[in-house]
Amino acid sequence: MKGDMYIARSSDKEILEKAEYGGAVTSLLKFALESGRVDAVLAIKARDGNRYDGVPVLITEPEEVIETAGALHCASPNISRFLKEYLDGASDLKVAVTVKPCDAKAIIELTKRIQINLDNLLLIGLNCTGTLSPTKAKTMIKTEFEADPADVVAEDIEDNKLTIRLKDGTEKEKDLTELEERGYGRRENCRRCETNIPIMADIACGKWGTTDKNKTFIEVCSEKGSDFIKEAIEAGKIKVEQPSSDAIETVRKKDEAAIELARQWQEKDFASLTEMSGDERFNYWSTQFSRCIKCYGCRDACPICYCKDCVLEADRGFVPPGEVPPDTMFPMVRITHVMDSCVNCGQCQDVCPMELPLSRLIFMLNRELAGIFKYEPGMDVSELPPLRTVTDQELSLSSVEVAL
Amino acid sequence: MDEFEPKIVGFFCNWCSYTGADLAGTSRIKYPPNVRVIRVMCSGRVDERLILKAFALGADGVLVSGCHPGDCHYQKGNLSARRRVTGLKPFLEAIGIGKDRLRLEWISASEGPKVAETVKSFTQTIKGLGPSVFNRRRNEH
Repeated sequence: MKGDMYIARSSDKEILEKAEYGGAVTSLLKFALESGRVDAVLAIKARDGNRYDGVPVLITEPEEVIETAGALHCASPNISRFLKEYLDGASDLKVAVTVKPCDAKAIIELTKRIQINLDNLLLIGLNCTGTLSPTKAKTMIKTEFEADPADVVAEDIEDNKLTIRLKDGTEKEKDLTELEERGYGRRENCRRCETNIPIMADIACGKWGTTDKNKTFIEVCSEKGSDFIKEAIEAGKIKVEQPSSDAIETVRKKDEAAIELARQWQEKDFASLTEMSGDERFNYWSTQFSRCIKCYGCRDACPICYCKDCVLEADRGFVPPGEVPPDTMFPMVRITHVMDSCVNCGQCQDVCPMELPLSRLIFMLNRELAGIFKYEPGMDVSELPPLRTVTDQELSLSSVEVAL
Repeated sequence: MDEFEPKIVGFFCNWCSYTGADLAGTSRIKYPPNVRVIRVMCSGRVDERLILKAFALGADGVLVSGCHPGDCHYQKGNLSARRRVTGLKPFLEAIGIGKDRLRLEWISASEGPKVAETVKSFTQTIKGLGPSVFNRRRNEH
């Protein structure tokens, strides 16, 4: 049932060899296909074996699932948007999807907006303490680790250390905070992220709480996930044991430490925006927005932006056509339209060719709104976006401020 | 230099606040001429875009006024307005426009004097804040 925890290991030798932490995820994905529970698996694969080019792949043959085994840290594919745009929101296809916490949140937000059919999805959550931008990661591996990026066979983030393993078997380790202070390390939004374990998915899989490198710690997060795991155990696809109370405590402690670190980053990043005076802020953002080339990249990447007829298009009367940089209405409307539901996936900032600090601003606003409206985006399908919904209870609230 | 006379855009709901403003007029209550009233069918019609557009086009302040909660002609339109205004304030603050330049008030059709009071006090607030950053920037060029 929901809340169950397992230490799992794949029963498949081939998968065990290729996978990183016991291969439970790969085995579960394969089982989901074999058992007919899903029609396809959507996971991330290194394109042509290139670790810095992780792309979403749709797999329908169980034998091909193994190609997605192993973790890719230097990739941040837009799974939720892929699901919405190219698979029609899983409207008529049952899919098992591997999701980081932000992917799961984005899928849930799109479900609220009736763009994805969550009933057709099996969300296999992957614990995550951050991803790295591929280009920056390569530079970092060259300059900081003094290694050839092409030689890297695995990366790992643990206890605020970034470790890379090279193909000759050597491992190199660096302090993550030091790297990040020099502008390397994880993507900016990942540093600020407080969700390491995707409890909003059907199951959450990770290495925290395991003692050797051949096991996966699984937390069951929904009844759907529970049924699925039980079937997989019965079919002998994974071998499980109960985690000790020490193991569960370790998971909790590591999660707390990561959250604490994220809060520090939030404080630091947000302070850089809030400590300016009002006029300085206006000048700062005017300068930033004046660099916008109106490529619509942020809008097209954002999992919250879903309107088919976007008000920012030239013929809608808000943004005059043919102007670059666009009218200030462009960034203002885009930001205010998504700020209540931002899942801090960082896609907007990733795609921005002018490198505007969009995710930093939007997530900062989101944290403030989350406090005002007692709303956490991406956690619960039944909680509707706070700026697009009202409740009956508010009828008896007479103030001009929302106090929930 | 002349005293700064702010430009305030008021979005008034057709059923309560606009009628309230009418009452203020027919009762000959004086209030500052700084507010430019735009009649909307419901304060719930006023979304972020209208407020932002008003600021971008040179409003020093934006006043949104609707029926008291529970009195909305469309049941809950005013509650939507309340959520939006509340939600927009952190944004206005973050990009340097300032949250105090946006105000929401509940004014019923019978509250003529409240229209005058609200406009008076909001005009004072905006005078205290000075011209909006958009306007100051425009004047510099």
